[in-house]
Amino acid sequence: MSSRQERKGRQGLIALAFLAPALLCLAVLRIVPAISAVVESFYSESLLRGGRVFAGLSNYGDLLASKDFRQSVGVTLLFTVLVNPIQVVVSFLLAVLFTQKAAGSRLWRTLVILPIATPPAVSAVIWSVIYRPDGLANGVLDRLGISAQPFLTSPSQVLPSLIVLLSWIGVGYWMLFLIAGIQEVPEEVREAALLDGAGAWRRMISVTLPLVRRPLAFVLVADTVSNLLVFAPVQILTKGGPNGNSNLLMYDVYNRAYALGDIHVAQAEVVILVALTLAIVAGQFRLLRGDQ
Amino acid sequence: MRRVSLSVLGGVVGILFFLPLLWVVTNSLRPGSETFAHLNPLSWSTFFELRPTLRNYSALLSSEIGRATLNSILVSVATVAIGLAVCASAAFGLSAFQFRGRGLVFGVVVLSFLVPFDAIAIPLSTMFRDWHLTNTFTGLVLPGIGNGMAIFLLRQFFLGIPTELVEAGRLDGLNWFGVFRWIYLPLSKPALIGAGLMLFLFQWQSYVWPLLIGTDAKHILGPVALSNLQGQNFADYGLVFAGAVVLTVIPLVVIAGFQRYFVQSVSSSGLK
Repeated sequence: MSSRQERKGRQGLIALAFLAPALLCLAVLRIVPAISAVVESFYSESLLRGGRVFAGLSNYGDLLASKDFRQSVGVTLLFTVLVNPIQVVVSFLLAVLFTQKAAGSRLWRTLVILPIATPPAVSAVIWSVIYRPDGLANGVLDRLGISAQPFLTSPSQVLPSLIVLLSWIGVGYWMLFLIAGIQEVPEEVREAALLDGAGAWRRMISVTLPLVRRPLAFVLVADTVSNLLVFAPVQILTKGGPNGNSNLLMYDVYNRAYALGDIHVAQAEVVILVALTLAIVAGQFRLLRGDQ
Repeated sequence: MRRVSLSVLGGVVGILFFLPLLWVVTNSLRPGSETFAHLNPLSWSTFFELRPTLRNYSALLSSEIGRATLNSILVSVATVAIGLAVCASAAFGLSAFQFRGRGLVFGVVVLSFLVPFDAIAIPLSTMFRDWHLTNTFTGLVLPGIGNGMAIFLLRQFFLGIPTELVEAGRLDGLNWFGVFRWIYLPLSKPALIGAGLMLFLFQWQSYVWPLLIGTDAKHILGPVALSNLQGQNFADYGLVFAGAVVLTVIPLVVIAGFQRYFVQSVSSSGLK
C-alpha cells in the first residue's frame, strides 16, 4: 500500500467523523422511513394472530378497488394540470413586469413577495375567513356587482378557490427565482433586440423566455412537487369536501392513516404518491429536454 | 407613458396581493365581534381602523397561541443551532478531504433532499411513536436538523476556500477540528446565514409534522394552535388574526434582517 493510499484512508476516517451526525440524521429521518413505507405497504395487521403478516400486493389492490382513492387520484391529477401552468405563467409574467424600469417597481414587488413569510397553515386559516359566506371575498364581489359565491362548499368552485389561495402563497416565491434569472440576462442582448425593433411582447417571447429556460424549468419541477404535497389548506379549509372534490392525495393519506386507522394501506398510498411525483417530474424533464 | 402604465399595473397587482394581509392586520386591531361588520358594503373602513386597540395582542399572551408561538420560537432556534453544527460539519467532511466513497456520500445527501419530507412524514411518525418521541421537543426538532439542501449549499461554498489556507493552518499546528472551527466557519458567514435561514423557515413553516407529533398543550406549535382555534364554532377572530400577524411578522423580520442572504440562498439552491 503506497503512502498516498494510506493518507487517503486516514483522511476518510477523519472525514467520516465530521460526516457521521448528518449521515445518521439523513439515514434515520429520510431514507429509513422511505424504505419502511415500501416494506410496510406489503404487510397488514392480522386480527386473528395479532401482529403483522405479509400481505403481498393486497394493500395496493384494496386501494385501487376503493372509489374514494380513485377519485382522489383524479382530483389530484386535475389539480396538478390546472395549478402548475397557472402559477408558472403568472410568476413569469410578474417577474417580467417587476424587472421593467417603472416607478414603485421595488415596492410593488415586495408586496407580492410578502405572503411567502406567512406559514402555509396560517395562510389557510386567513383564507378560511376570507372565503366564509360573509367574508372578504364575497364583500369584494358584492362591490363589483357579482352575487355571493359558495367557494368552498361548491363542488365546481372548491379547486379554483384552493388554487387562488395557493397562488397567493406561492407565486411570490417562484417569482424570486425568475427575477434572479431575468437579471442574469446580459443587458446587451436586450438592447440588441430593442435595436432590431422588437416590440415588448416579441422581446419577452423570443429573448427573455429562452434565456430563463433553466430557472423556468426548475420552477416548474419544484412547483409541481410542492403542489402534489399540498395538505394544510385541504385539512384546514375543506377536509376533502364537498363530496371528495378537494380530496388531494396527501390529505387522503393522512385521513386514511389517522381517521380510518388503516396504516398499512396508507403506507401503500404514500408509495403511490411518491411514485406519481417522480413520474410527473421525470415526464417534465423529458418534455423540457425534448424541445431543446 | 409606457412607464406610467407599467407602474400602475404593478401597483394594482401589488395591492391585490397585499389586501388580505392588510385586512388581517386591521382586524387584529379591532374587537373580534366586528370582524364581519365592515364588509357589507365594502368601504375604506374595511381596511383601516381609526380607533385601533391592542387588546387582541394582550389576550394572545395568555392564550394557547401565545404559548404555541413561544414553542415555535424554541423549536426553530434549536433547529438552527443544532442543524447548522450538523450540516456545516458534514459539508466540511465532504469538501476538505479526499477519500474513497466521497461521491457515494454526496449521492446520499442529494437523494435525501429529493425525497420530499412531507411525503414520508407519516411513516416517520409511526417510527417516532415506537421510540416514544411524540409530544417531545426532541421529536419536533429532530427532522429539521439533517437538511440535505443546507449541506449541499454549505459544501458549494466550502469548496471555494483555498487549500493553501488549510495547509498553513495545519503547519501552525491546528488539528482538523481547529481548521473547521477557526478557518472554515469564520470565512463562511454568508453561507452559514443562508443555510440557517433555510433551516429556520423549514421549521417555522412546517405543519404536517407538528400536527402528527406535537398535539398536547405543552408541545403544540403556532400554526397548529391557530388552526385548532379556527376550527372551533365560536372562534374569536380578533385573536385568530392577532395570532396570524405574530406568526407572519416573526419570519418577516428574520427574512428582512438577512434579506441579502435570503435571496442568495433562494437563488443558489435553485439555479446553481
